[in-house]
Amino acid sequence: MATRTVEVANGVPSLAAERAVTWPKRTKTRLSNGLEVILAASHTIPKFHGELFFRSGNAAFADRTPGLAEMTATVVRTGTAKRVSRRIEEDLRRIGADLSSSAGSDTSAISFTGLSEFAEPLLALVNELGLEASFPESEFERERRQKVEEVKLERTQPGFLASERLRKVLFGAHPYAQISPSEAQVSGYQRADLQAVYRESYTPENGLLLLVGDFEPQEMLRTIEKVFGAWSGKKPEAKSFASPANPRGRHVYLVHVPGAVQTQILAGCHAITRKHPDWVKLGLTNSLYGGAFNSRLVMNIREDKGYTYSPRSGVTSLRQHGYFSISAAVRNDVVAASLTEVFYEMDKLRSLSVPEAELADAQNYLSGVFSMGLATQDGLLTQFSTVALNELPDDYLETYRAKVRGITPEDLLATARNYLDSANMQIVVVGDRAHIESQAALFGDLQIFDAQGNSL
Amino acid sequence: MHIAVEHTKLGNGLHVVVAPDSTAPVVTVGVYYKIGFRLEPQGRSGFAHLFEHMMFQGSENAPKMQHIKLINSSGGLLNGSTSYDVTNYYEAVPSNALERVLWLEADRMRALKVDDENLKNQRDVVKEEVRVNVMNQPYGGFPWLDMPPVAFRNWANAHNFYGDFADLDAAHLGDVQAFFKTYYVPNNAVLLILGDVQATEGIALAKKYFSDIPGGSAPAFADPAEPEQTEERRGQVEEKFGTLPAMAIGYLMPKRRTPEWFAMALLDQALHGGRAGRLYRELVLEKQIAVEADGGIDDLFGYNGPTQMTTRILHKPEFSSDATLAAFDAVIREVQDNGIAADELEQLKVKWRSDYYATLEGGRGGYMPKYGLMHLLACFTLFDQEPQLVNTVLDAFLTVTAEQVHSAAKKYLRDDKRAIVFRAPAKGAKEAA
Repeated sequence: MATRTVEVANGVPSLAAERAVTWPKRTKTRLSNGLEVILAASHTIPKFHGELFFRSGNAAFADRTPGLAEMTATVVRTGTAKRVSRRIEEDLRRIGADLSSSAGSDTSAISFTGLSEFAEPLLALVNELGLEASFPESEFERERRQKVEEVKLERTQPGFLASERLRKVLFGAHPYAQISPSEAQVSGYQRADLQAVYRESYTPENGLLLLVGDFEPQEMLRTIEKVFGAWSGKKPEAKSFASPANPRGRHVYLVHVPGAVQTQILAGCHAITRKHPDWVKLGLTNSLYGGAFNSRLVMNIREDKGYTYSPRSGVTSLRQHGYFSISAAVRNDVVAASLTEVFYEMDKLRSLSVPEAELADAQNYLSGVFSMGLATQDGLLTQFSTVALNELPDDYLETYRAKVRGITPEDLLATARNYLDSANMQIVVVGDRAHIESQAALFGDLQIFDAQGNSL
Repeated sequence: MHIAVEHTKLGNGLHVVVAPDSTAPVVTVGVYYKIGFRLEPQGRSGFAHLFEHMMFQGSENAPKMQHIKLINSSGGLLNGSTSYDVTNYYEAVPSNALERVLWLEADRMRALKVDDENLKNQRDVVKEEVRVNVMNQPYGGFPWLDMPPVAFRNWANAHNFYGDFADLDAAHLGDVQAFFKTYYVPNNAVLLILGDVQATEGIALAKKYFSDIPGGSAPAFADPAEPEQTEERRGQVEEKFGTLPAMAIGYLMPKRRTPEWFAMALLDQALHGGRAGRLYRELVLEKQIAVEADGGIDDLFGYNGPTQMTTRILHKPEFSSDATLAAFDAVIREVQDNGIAADELEQLKVKWRSDYYATLEGGRGGYMPKYGLMHLLACFTLFDQEPQLVNTVLDAFLTVTAEQVHSAAKKYLRDDKRAIVFRAPAKGAKEAA
């Protein structure tokens, strides 16, 4: 690919000895009502970050209606037995706090950050939202109406249309296939549906409370016991869904957006979850392929050829399944040329051993970037929640860098062959068919849809 | 809280600011040049940003692809950004890579080594950046690119900052070297080192790598002053993809660091402070006219010229623009008539303090530690010659009185000091969607 000789730099200072990376101690406990609690001190600023997770998200209720957990989370913050919506928002401001509530495929969460001096009132509000949300009729109606506009609006975003189609193609009948409800589904939401989701999933046995920040853990634990102790509730029954079929062969899906002046490419294939023993190896393979600025794909289609601004590859891990994907928004006349390079780089990683020096660079990258999480309260919280929600071993953070360092060129070759599934990539292109249809058709049998999802 | 800050100026005029903190074995390095897209050359719209891309294309001893490769392979992240009055380049790396980062930044401050092929390559990349962020997105560039030509009369403030494609095409290598020679001199820049480094060590390393870069003449800056605005200005932009009508209302801001400016910052918080903010509460939650109502003063500390406080509204199609604007105006009139209550002001100050702490720690996207502190220190150094402001500026916000907020509302939230951009979905957009 690189048509010009890559020159090396002269006189670069070598790296000094690495400083040890020490992750803060985590205090882990479970309250008598079943709520799991993880605390860690970080004194960077006189604030703290927290997240109250419930291990049920949109997938758990997809058999009722898609997006129900997300709608529930949205309305949770709009009223409790003690406070009306306006009061909640003003009380948050009064203590300098921010709070949001949302749901993904596998979890629902109340996320918050505030001043340490007001930790107790903030936790009390979080407890109230988790325990006593009142789902006021008028608030529910407004939020549902808002959501209708939102789902209409997202159909005008190329990135959304690409993700929506890829997830459908990869996950078929599994709940992971639908990333957002339809307008009709949102219109059909009932207040009682939300209350049922709330009752079943917002329970201490289903919960995980994580706090990182400027506090003394034992003292914070006493506050938590006081604030969250009165709550009770069972863990909901786990639902299982049949594994989706893994699509065979390359197929191309074109989402037609008339007048689009660029084409959003998104291609993906089934991969693994974070719990899988190959996860770290796949992470390294991904960072070499297209996960870092310095990666092969970015250097090829951006820095060498100028086809795109922001090409990236990544591995998405949901609780039950994971997938590998590549995205790039490219000039309309180089859709085929870009896909050619996407597959060239993938096939190269599957065919040829990675040179030792390049492997070492990628190992440095992954282990260095991993430690950046240490520098902020939010960064720590993200790492701790990843470990806890994916039920990774307690020493996951401490042993991660050694695992990265232990990966060999042979490992990378095997990982690329297993998970960068070139022959079975599902290719989505979002753009104006007049400019891109014939280019897209070069890469597999082609189906065309409009932005509403209708077959054209 | 107190931030330890060491500041010095090298013989060549380069400011050096070090803020040590050994919490994590990570160091953040930034170089800010005091030139942004506001004062880029006429006939070369978008050039400051295109030039920023060129700074990653190769320098004297680190050819193309080496900057990115050397930072990533040291375990670090890097980026750059162009705004109105500054352009920055920054890296966060494990602290054992500090010298390497300083060497790289010094190398590209000393001499840029780029060719026509690099320029063509990055021109193509920038065009795709503009397409992905503006031309191919619903509400792309709204209102940050739509507002300036409506609100301002001086080309410096009013032109297309991302660049007209014709201007990008016209840019040549001579422009790149001239821009570099004029603005990228050490005496027009500040180097910042934050995190896992001792103050003395940071200063010594800055001297080691940067002190032999020759200073240049002080750049001559065009005057960005605006003629006095005497009436409301309005403009229209067509929305190609989106389904909802939108509008943005911008009010001219008072001068940086005047008492009125501090008061406006709190007024901004009263109006735009999330779901508790008056505009969101009235337009979205209470009257339910709008789907989104947000905005405010963007990057308060990062401006050194005319700027606005701007509200961005997406509203439901069943409400007309006039009805939506009338509801917005009612919120503005209310604060002009009655000011804000003592209790509300107290809430705003607590929130302000809390947000300020978050800025000091916070990264960009969670993984650029101390980006916020770096940005404040850079702007306070380049615009105010006073990096220690980072430790005192908070007090100026916390001592604003209700009377000051009230009088700022009356003086600055006036129709004849504002501009409005309407961005309505194109006719037939519905059928096309």
